[in-house]
Amino acid sequence: MGEALSQFVEEAQHLSSQFDSTTVFSIAGWNVSQYVLYMLVALVLVAALVLIAGRKLTLVPHGKFAHIFEFGYDFISEGVGADVIGEGFKKHVPFLATLFFFILTANIIGLIPGAKAAMGTISITWALAAISFIYFNFWGLKELGFFHYFKSLCPSGVPAPIAPIIWFLEFFSMVIRVLTLAVRLYGNMLAGHMVLAVFSLATTIFLQTAIFQMDIVAGLPAIAWFFLLFFMYALETLVAFLQAYVFTILSSSYIGMAIHPH
Amino acid sequence: MELTLAIAALKVVGYGLAAIGPGIGIGVATYGLCVSAARQPEMKGQLMGYFFIGAAMSEALALLGLVLFFIG
Repeated sequence: MGEALSQFVEEAQHLSSQFDSTTVFSIAGWNVSQYVLYMLVALVLVAALVLIAGRKLTLVPHGKFAHIFEFGYDFISEGVGADVIGEGFKKHVPFLATLFFFILTANIIGLIPGAKAAMGTISITWALAAISFIYFNFWGLKELGFFHYFKSLCPSGVPAPIAPIIWFLEFFSMVIRVLTLAVRLYGNMLAGHMVLAVFSLATTIFLQTAIFQMDIVAGLPAIAWFFLLFFMYALETLVAFLQAYVFTILSSSYIGMAIHPH
Repeated sequence: MELTLAIAALKVVGYGLAAIGPGIGIGVATYGLCVSAARQPEMKGQLMGYFFIGAAMSEALALLGLVLFFIG
């Protein structure tokens, strides 16, 4: 058993290199990494599914397939938009629903064994966070005007002497939103898949020991590793949904804060 | 060699320290959500929004720690 354990420790050290971006193919000087490839797959899949579901739009949706998408859209519209943004949420719902469906699809594709989670690389989450950041700043500037928007970062009712300090802190927390949005999604997806990789590696190595060295006792931990892997996989399925939801609800709350200053 | 090992170890320790506060913060936020949803279940939908915003704000500190782990 000790042999299998030391082999596991040795191989686990090289595990993080499995998550590095590698170029799959290049088009006209643009290198496409495996993450971008899976992002494109998610993009095509979302577009195709939504177009099929929205082919014949009726007031009462027909068929289970259209119902699923109506439910998802309604969930974003009522559960996220109306609750968090409040007044004037209708025009932001398409943006939020696009974010939600895209991230959810990319995460669920990443759960398929062998596929990569597109959100497991910082460059893609960075781009999504930048889109969300530009979007809420644009609407804040448009609804309130340049001067009023930057003034509204500091909540009203703050005593005049400390107002500049509060304004600076609020401005800083507004600027790092782009960082936290990006890193939250990236960190959750990468860490979850790293844990899955560690458990599946352990299962494989202990099972190999049992089979090739005819040592049943040494292979017994493989059962425990497999159950851990199973439960972590179930948890990752929850995380895949939850991170898409969290990204959407945070984007909508930032939009709400930008267009309804307090 | 030893210095790089020490720096790598300190990064992990630093991230662990950065995760303590947000862990407590998210725990308190979850506690508040559970207690208030048990008292007034009809407010649950609205409270979830506040909960996610609060949890995200305290989580930001842990995420800054994670960023420092990568770039520091």
